[in-house]
Amino acid sequence: MSVRRVLFSPLMILVLVLSAVALGIMYMKVTVLHMPLMPEEFGEVWTVEARIDFAGRNGPARVNLLLPQDHAVFKRLDENFISRGFGLTIGSSGDYRQASWTRRRSQGDQVLFYRAQIFPEPERSMEVTDADREVPFPPIPDYQEPLASAINDVLATARSESADIFSFASRLMAILADEDDENVKVIRQSRPASQWPHLVTEILAGARIPSRVVSGISLRDDYIEQPLITWIEVNNGQRWRGFNPQTGDMRYPERFYPWVKGSDSILDTEGVRNLHISFSTSRNTIDQVTLSEQLDGRLATGFMNFTLYNLPIATQDVYKVLLMVPLGALVIAVMRVFIGVPTFGTFSPVLIALAFRETQLGWGITLFMIIMFMGFLVRIALANLHLLLVPRLSAMLIIVIGLMVLLSLLSARLGLTQGLSIALFPMVILTMTIERMSIVWEERGGKETIKETLGTLVVAVAGYYVMTHAALTHLMFNFPELLLIVLACCLLMGSYTGYRVSEVLRFRDLVGNRAQ
Amino acid sequence: MIFTWNKLLKQGILGLNARNHRYIMQYNSRHSYPLVDDKLKTKTLAIAAGITVPTLYAAMTTPHDLSRLEKALAPYQEFVVKPAHGSGGEGVLVIDGRRRDLFVKPDGRALTLEEVRYHASNILSGIYSLGGIPDQAMFEYRVRVSPVLETVSYRGVPDIRVLVFRGVPVMAMIRLPTRSSDGKANLHQGAVGVGIDITTGVTTKGVCQNRVVSEHPDFGVPLSGLHIPDWLTLLELATRCYELTGLGYMGVDIVLDKQKGPMILEINARPGLAIQIANQSGLQHRLDRVESIKDLPDDPKERVALALTLFGEQPVPA
Repeated sequence: MSVRRVLFSPLMILVLVLSAVALGIMYMKVTVLHMPLMPEEFGEVWTVEARIDFAGRNGPARVNLLLPQDHAVFKRLDENFISRGFGLTIGSSGDYRQASWTRRRSQGDQVLFYRAQIFPEPERSMEVTDADREVPFPPIPDYQEPLASAINDVLATARSESADIFSFASRLMAILADEDDENVKVIRQSRPASQWPHLVTEILAGARIPSRVVSGISLRDDYIEQPLITWIEVNNGQRWRGFNPQTGDMRYPERFYPWVKGSDSILDTEGVRNLHISFSTSRNTIDQVTLSEQLDGRLATGFMNFTLYNLPIATQDVYKVLLMVPLGALVIAVMRVFIGVPTFGTFSPVLIALAFRETQLGWGITLFMIIMFMGFLVRIALANLHLLLVPRLSAMLIIVIGLMVLLSLLSARLGLTQGLSIALFPMVILTMTIERMSIVWEERGGKETIKETLGTLVVAVAGYYVMTHAALTHLMFNFPELLLIVLACCLLMGSYTGYRVSEVLRFRDLVGNRAQ
Repeated sequence: MIFTWNKLLKQGILGLNARNHRYIMQYNSRHSYPLVDDKLKTKTLAIAAGITVPTLYAAMTTPHDLSRLEKALAPYQEFVVKPAHGSGGEGVLVIDGRRRDLFVKPDGRALTLEEVRYHASNILSGIYSLGGIPDQAMFEYRVRVSPVLETVSYRGVPDIRVLVFRGVPVMAMIRLPTRSSDGKANLHQGAVGVGIDITTGVTTKGVCQNRVVSEHPDFGVPLSGLHIPDWLTLLELATRCYELTGLGYMGVDIVLDKQKGPMILEINARPGLAIQIANQSGLQHRLDRVESIKDLPDDPKERVALALTLFGEQPVPA
């Protein structure tokens, strides 16, 4: 065929138009909207969760939780509540936002959750917070003897050993940490230990230094059941600084996320007992486009309204997977048309590859082989019963599900959690694959069966690598118009009339014989 | 690899992609497929066109039909039961003769009427049909192997595959049953494929499981030089199937009967490529030559003559 005829065939024109449209849209998106072609560095997002456990007293119950304040360093992306039968209202209490769960009658163990997604802005530092606000000097509290003179003694010592407000505060807290000191003993006995940070702020007020208690948590990955940390912030007239109330060190805890500032307690309840609050944190990464989308709401451009980022997050996740399926289909077409790999069924390798995405590759292959082998044995046994087709397939489906349940139970028993993911395998596909496998076994023999099983696995693994490729996933999701290019590739492949690699092997003896 | 690729291309070896795209899709229209997929339909058509086929004794569609099995089979000493939608010789039961109430198979084993009926009901339920759809059972004339081919057939009946393109016979091979193919003329199951010179009807070399063989694996007799009797009648028979089905690219399977001569067994709309291995030669050049002729004769006899001149004396161009 001449070059001209190939170039001007209707198929070629269609292929060129499709590719041109796709590349055009892509070019627009990259140049005008600056959408990144490659997945860029990922933003760090933390999920913090407060869990409140308590028991009802068989009467009306109310739980108030102070919610994290808006913060210069930490942006809150999203928050949600798990209320389980409690009515929820979000109100305010003084300067704070407050969630209030109420119920007319509550009994037995209850648990409530508050969860927030927060995003630390990396370039801001902790110390610059609230710099603009005028802070009033606190009044000097009235103490009784001997507490009053003990406090005055301590304040005098600290004053003599320090130069400015911050060094004074630090020195004071260091002195208060020395439990052998007679004055400190008196001071410490006046309040329970849990009230210590509040007492420290009162002592600082004795020197007319503004300070407050800050409650927060430490952001650490997969850190569960962590307690609330209470810290002290001192103001020198210009800015706030964090101090460890136990030692006087002038610093914040590592990766400190302040929940509320200046309040006595973040939790306030009525009609409950056995109250316990704990926090957990975990780190997630999301790519920059998603992040900016969530931070700023919608991107302004009208063109951007057609990106998949306008869909709800759950739907986005579905499309992240769905958009990779055409690439899997492309892999299958290449394997079949160019290489000639024999497989059971046309698209079953793609669906098996999708299951591998969830189970991880090694486990996926192992579980797949186990299920296939066991199902195959059962199918061979069923063949002797001469059942009609549809009831036989239904029977196989039931048996496959049974095998999956069995394997899950077995692996749970052995403590192999990966074995549980077998439930993600598409059972109908498994059933049909077993069916085809046994037909090939009966009609073509064991060699062919092994060949096709391996072929199916090879194509599934290739599909898995393509469909889980990070850069490809990014491209397909950000530039769904690439579907047109995949389509064009499939159209082109549909008119390929050259040999398959397998055929070159099959017919290779013909070459030798002619040459004689 | 690339070297082999180019060599194959030069020799005109046809690949599956090219077969599907250039021939099956261009020359076989979809609506003709049911005519050849259902052997009962093919047979009816063939009889109407005066083409020789094994005589149909009875066809049964419903389990109820099977109740009159005994009566229907009463006149026949020997017969073959096969599924109308079967493929590759699956589900074929051959009855060689009768002994009192029993039906005797070629290997000497005897079946009761009930066992024959069970086999037929299995066929009806679709066990042997593609995709498992409900099927019909055909009871037909039992072909007797022609004496010429008796020495090279293990138990079953060999069949001759003629590839017909636009009504012109292009290439042929004969498939001989062996012990390992269990008397079936199916290359996948270990039957021997032997190439036939299309102009003379003389066998050339054999291929078994993709390996070249010169002797029958069971009998040790040479495979080449075998003269197929009635060769021109056979080619004409194959050629006439073009008018019958309208399929431009098809494989016609023909059996040679001791008494009745060549008869059409079945027609395949997607014939395989193994015929090239059996003939040690590619299809592409032959197909190109037929394709280059614009107006082909309407008369099947003339088309056979055309094939003889096209693929005669001169060797296949390299």
